[in-house]
Amino acid sequence: MNVIELKNVSKFYRKDFWASRISAVTDLTISVKKGIVTGFVGPNGAGKTTTIKMIMGLVRPSRGWVTLYGKDAFIPGSRKGVAYLCEQPYFYAHLSVSETLHFAADLLRLPPKAITSEISRVLSIVDLSSKRLVKVKELSKGMQQRLTMAQALLGDPQLLILDEPMSGMDPPGRRLFRKLFRELVDSGKTIFFSTHVLDDIESVCDEVIVLSRGKLAFSGEVKTILNSGFQGTEMVVSALQKQDIDVLVQHGCVVGSYDHSQINLFLPAEGDLMKVQNYLFQKNAVLYSVSRRAKSMEELLYQKTDAGVL
Amino acid sequence: MRSFITIALNTFRETIRNKVLYNILLAAGVVLMLSMSFGDLSLFSRAQVIADFGLTTMSITGLLLAVFIGVGMLGREISSKTIYMIVTKPVSRESFIAGKFVGLFVVLVLNLMLIGAVFLISINLMDSEIRIKLGWAVLLIIMEMGIIVAASIFFSSFTTPTLAAIFTIGFYVSGHLNDLIGIGAEQKNNPLWSSALKIVYYVIPNLEHFNIRALVVYGLNIPQGYVFSAVCYGLLYIVLFLILSIMLFSGKDL
Repeated sequence: MNVIELKNVSKFYRKDFWASRISAVTDLTISVKKGIVTGFVGPNGAGKTTTIKMIMGLVRPSRGWVTLYGKDAFIPGSRKGVAYLCEQPYFYAHLSVSETLHFAADLLRLPPKAITSEISRVLSIVDLSSKRLVKVKELSKGMQQRLTMAQALLGDPQLLILDEPMSGMDPPGRRLFRKLFRELVDSGKTIFFSTHVLDDIESVCDEVIVLSRGKLAFSGEVKTILNSGFQGTEMVVSALQKQDIDVLVQHGCVVGSYDHSQINLFLPAEGDLMKVQNYLFQKNAVLYSVSRRAKSMEELLYQKTDAGVL
Repeated sequence: MRSFITIALNTFRETIRNKVLYNILLAAGVVLMLSMSFGDLSLFSRAQVIADFGLTTMSITGLLLAVFIGVGMLGREISSKTIYMIVTKPVSRESFIAGKFVGLFVVLVLNLMLIGAVFLISINLMDSEIRIKLGWAVLLIIMEMGIIVAASIFFSSFTTPTLAAIFTIGFYVSGHLNDLIGIGAEQKNNPLWSSALKIVYYVIPNLEHFNIRALVVYGLNIPQGYVFSAVCYGLLYIVLFLILSIMLFSGKDL
């Protein structure tokens, strides 16, 4: 089931009345499946934020349809159970952390009796319980980002739409968010998030959508993409007899550097790893290490999107 | 309904923490104090001078509050993007506009009542004959300010805060000159000009309907049903401006 769908969506802007139209998004058709993490990638100005704003009903598409759970995204009711986290945290300076969350909970129409416990729950998830009474403006940017996430988690939303959620975060914050994403998806939630960092895509996402100059450049499963970049297996084994090495070469192995104690072997992707491993086992060779050699996500997406997109 | 109340409450809290509010109130207080001194220098009775000064001060104070706080508020919500916190939730833009209006209007009413109370007390201390009529005058000023706040939200929904402030002040001035605009429209030397003035005359509310200062100060009778008609007239324009604001704001890209 698709929770987000964009059909032939275009968005045009005019910088001023007399200026010609600028296309931010052109004929974009994408969908986001339920229960997975989908990454939304593209360089600056690719149209990611505009697309997310159209999904959240902040911007009306010039053409096409945007739906959330099958409803027009511009209808407020379609955002029920949907949380949004924007790149830059925006809060009312006069409110404290607790008041901010209370305000958000009221807007979400959470039962008044449940609000206090819900605030405690989300604050503990993002590790901000000790800052409950602190004014939002006194928090660091990273903490404000966590507060944005706490706000997004209020009311246990089924879909989280996150625009650059980890920008400006320190490594512990990034780790916390990555872990949280996995936990949320494991509990059946759907996450759609934009990012510049391809590492995030590799470590967190199940699917990726790549946008370039307002157009869809590529979309697919992260696992499939990564598998397509698999080049072979690298092994470091204990020294072998010359005839054993010849057999391994016959099995497709490429012998790298070796000395009297160990040999570096590389088996290309098309080789039979099982056969090689069995042979090494028969010869009582010690396997010091086994690792995958694969192209990075960046290289793969670079290839798949006609170079220069990322 | 709950989101509307939440937005109104937040607007109320935000407004009462705005320093501009207290500066304007302080200025209003100073003018009221001065009016007591001017009363001695005037040919009219001291109470008449205080009443005249007081009502004018309330009207101007309301205008300043609507312009400096009302116009800035919506513009600031959009430019600082705090609006994202609201409209990305299942909250309609109608609730947002209505909540903003109510929150701001309540602050304005409380302030006008505060100024009104101060100056009613000072009049009572002087054992004046001007009494209940002042209450009606204050009520009509509140209605007038309701229109100004609604108009300021309307202007803010499609233009920049600076232009919205200029338009709101222009609206206030032309609303008070509405009768003159009507007279100008009767001059038939230039039909095009006359038609333009007629349009302005009919579109812009006649804010002089809310000005019964002269009747109160000189102790004249307020025609029966006048206050009721003026309140209805005011409510009509408030609703009209809010509907227009919602229509414009609903299609706005944020």
